[in-house]
Amino acid sequence: MRLTRFAPLTSIVFAVLAAIAVIVPAAFGAGKIFPYNYVQEDLPNGLRLITIPTDYRNIVALYIVVGAGSRNEVEPGKSGFAHLFEHLMFRGTAEYSPERYQQELSNAGAASNAFTSDDFTAYHTTFSKEDLPRILSMEADRFQHLSYEEAAFKTETRAVLGEYNKNSANPEQKLYETLRATAFHTHTYRHTTMGFVEDVEAMPNEYAYSKDFFSRYYRPEYTTIIVVGDVEAKKVRSLVDERWGEWKRGNYKPQIPAEPPQDGARTAHVDWPSPTLPSVEVAYRGPAFTDESPETAALDATARLLFDRTSPLYQKLVITEQKLDSLGGGPSDNLDPELFGAFARVKKEADVADVTRQIIAAIEEFAARPVDGKKLEALKQHIRYEFALRMTNSEAIAGAVARYVALRRTPEAINRYFDFYAKLTPEDLQRVAKKYLIEKNRTVVTLTSKEVAK
Amino acid sequence: MIGRLSVLFVLAAVLGSAAGPRVVELPSKSPLVTIRLVFTTGAAFDPADKPGIASLTADLLGEGGTRDLTYKQIVDALYPMATNVRVYSDKEMTTFVGQTHVDNLDRFYGLMRDMILHPGWRADDFERVRDDTINALRVSLRGNNDEELGKEELYNLIYAGHPYGHENMGTAASLAAMKMEDLQAFHKAHYTQANLIIGLAGGYPASFVARVQKDFAALPAGPADSFNAPVPAALARNQLTIVSKDTRSVAWSFGYPIDVKRGDPDFVPLLVAQSYLGQHRLSSGVLYSRLRELRGLNYGDYAYIEYFPGGMFRLEPQPNIARRQQIFQIWIRPVEPPNAGFSLRAAMFELNKVIDKGMSQADFERTKTFLSKYVNVLTKSKTDELGYAIDSAYYGIPAYGDYLKAGLAKLTLDDVNRAVRKHLRSDRMQIVAVAKDAEGLRAALTAAAPTPIVYVTAKPQDVLDEDKLIERLPLGLRAEDVKIVPVEEVFEK
Repeated sequence: MRLTRFAPLTSIVFAVLAAIAVIVPAAFGAGKIFPYNYVQEDLPNGLRLITIPTDYRNIVALYIVVGAGSRNEVEPGKSGFAHLFEHLMFRGTAEYSPERYQQELSNAGAASNAFTSDDFTAYHTTFSKEDLPRILSMEADRFQHLSYEEAAFKTETRAVLGEYNKNSANPEQKLYETLRATAFHTHTYRHTTMGFVEDVEAMPNEYAYSKDFFSRYYRPEYTTIIVVGDVEAKKVRSLVDERWGEWKRGNYKPQIPAEPPQDGARTAHVDWPSPTLPSVEVAYRGPAFTDESPETAALDATARLLFDRTSPLYQKLVITEQKLDSLGGGPSDNLDPELFGAFARVKKEADVADVTRQIIAAIEEFAARPVDGKKLEALKQHIRYEFALRMTNSEAIAGAVARYVALRRTPEAINRYFDFYAKLTPEDLQRVAKKYLIEKNRTVVTLTSKEVAK
Repeated sequence: MIGRLSVLFVLAAVLGSAAGPRVVELPSKSPLVTIRLVFTTGAAFDPADKPGIASLTADLLGEGGTRDLTYKQIVDALYPMATNVRVYSDKEMTTFVGQTHVDNLDRFYGLMRDMILHPGWRADDFERVRDDTINALRVSLRGNNDEELGKEELYNLIYAGHPYGHENMGTAASLAAMKMEDLQAFHKAHYTQANLIIGLAGGYPASFVARVQKDFAALPAGPADSFNAPVPAALARNQLTIVSKDTRSVAWSFGYPIDVKRGDPDFVPLLVAQSYLGQHRLSSGVLYSRLRELRGLNYGDYAYIEYFPGGMFRLEPQPNIARRQQIFQIWIRPVEPPNAGFSLRAAMFELNKVIDKGMSQADFERTKTFLSKYVNVLTKSKTDELGYAIDSAYYGIPAYGDYLKAGLAKLTLDDVNRAVRKHLRSDRMQIVAVAKDAEGLRAALTAAAPTPIVYVTAKPQDVLDEDKLIERLPLGLRAEDVKIVPVEEVFEK
């Protein structure tokens, strides 16, 4: 799953106080890939609760996923508001000032943070199990009663500008911003999660709009609470009923503008003002994430077979010819159709055109003929071990689940998605490549330094 | 004789290990196995004319072929197991770490072992890894990451003339001159049994430990690396280095050496003060609260008493970068250029407050409670716990969680405030900025005029009153105390 790469991708965490067996399917290749039993239930107000008891003792990981990301920023001039809200949510309520909220977290020894992506915003906290009632209360309070003055709002917008600034030293951010703005003209994916810089700079004047944004999306029907760790589902439900049951359902539904089909190859270029290495993004308009057909799994497999270290392209360009010092890519797996993309950093500017041609040829070759079945089978084995190796503590489990909850509001999406993965055939990959990885869907953005790095 | 120790008895076992690799074990029933092989060598042992050799040697072992397999064959072999061997190297530790499902332990371990014991030393691997390192220095660090650039330059300045006094990756010039034979010689001299700590965690079979010990007994016996350089003396006055670079905002770091490391009596008291001032990437510290939350100056502000590379990417420190000498450091994340002078002064102001007034009893209690629970976060996974256990072996202390909790339990507020007064100050510091208008910044910070903050919103009178104190806080900088370095020169020679 690819999150917007400049969102504060934070995950914080937690102690496994005692060592415990990690649950891994006994026989690889058999059974559901997500090995935990979970309880999924909906409150009358539309809030969803997913509880996953694990064997990791003493610690609880809480994720609260709000189904609003930069995709939801539909009005012109208002990009970056989902991310701004991630910050504003730490600005307190009548009952818990920011200072008191912070003190309670410190007293709980809790690690707390948040991140925003194209499609969702996640708030996560990890703490000792005895603090669960207190933390759930504090979270319920701020989700229902967030209250901030205009002065605090304006101050926080400057922290967000500070975040933009700290990212802006990296040319990859500019390259990615340009890719989004070139590949999309209508859909909100045309801006990144940080937002257009002119919108970020104008944020201090948007106090009233910020209230609208909160009132639209910070509602039970947009929210899923995920509780993972040393917990009992019934007790969690009763705490959530008590603290979150009064939250009022909203009625807002955004009209996200659909992007018309791309009608031909597009290109763009970025001149970077200081010395750096050239880089290139090669992207194709892809489908929305799906766990109802093999499309997303097939594009993920394609990206891995194309760009992983074992791939012929990586071996040729990075290891043998040494023209690139990095190469990577991934599928489109957002709520709406997004981009299948490759990123490469090139050692010499003279090689940019040739390397770009080679990447395009390698991608579009997938439509021309089926991949080697043995390579696909090795990849499937890799995928299952990779997933198992990620599930090393309750926080990691909650984090993995949150990504899929943002897309489908259920951990079952993991099993459905990986079931399609397990059944992929070379023909599936070829069919999906023929549909998406073709010239008319392509956008290429290059970046070079005005001043060549020594 | 091969030493062996359990985590609970690290101290006794370290004292008793005269020869052979030390072993740290955390067996469990998990089907996942972590192997950490840590050599207590690194950039502090680079020959003076070959800075970067320890790091380049480690990277070539980790990202090159072995005697029997090309790099491509290794990558292909690791692929179905969905794992790899991660290599990182600091001043006094060089770490190879991998995690595998126990199904694949035999094959994975064989690959990892051969990377270290039987490197392939192929010319094409060498060229590629060296190119990557030069690009990491010039492009990733110097070009794309103002904050890490500032922090690394701060260390280089503080430790000038000391074994720590160069960036771990070396310089572009030294890397260009490096030869394969140099790396082979470094490998032979420093990859010794006396320098090795073998770390194992997870559900490996009982016989596995003996196998690893036997294999690594093939390394030369010793000696263990050591150096005698003292902690650098305090400067006579503040020194400011401005790295001049075409960039949007201004990044700050400042600090000085402290004679306190993990295991020393003042470590836990200073850790409390550091956490209170600015716990890394959490919103609890006073720097964060006063600079970011109250004034909106930037994205965050933090304090450190141990080296913490990669802070913009990591929420928790990685283990196995232990050092016998550390600095106190404050990191101010990029600020808008008009607020650059104010931001530096505001951080110094908060530091002064802690030194002059000390922490309150309530702040002390809260920070103590936080740290005693937060230590569990640091060891959240087996691989982290194993890393911390290895560091404890290095420092000669019990398991880190036990060490910290015991230290906190007997700690008093007086202990903390006394340690703060003894070790912390806000003068005689090295200060580093990365900024576009270096001349303008120098002029502003050496002039008598204040450097006021520019707000987008009205502020309460008490904040404005405090701002008046901050904007005039003496920096003690004369024009000759400020050096401007073009970014192209950093890490070049």
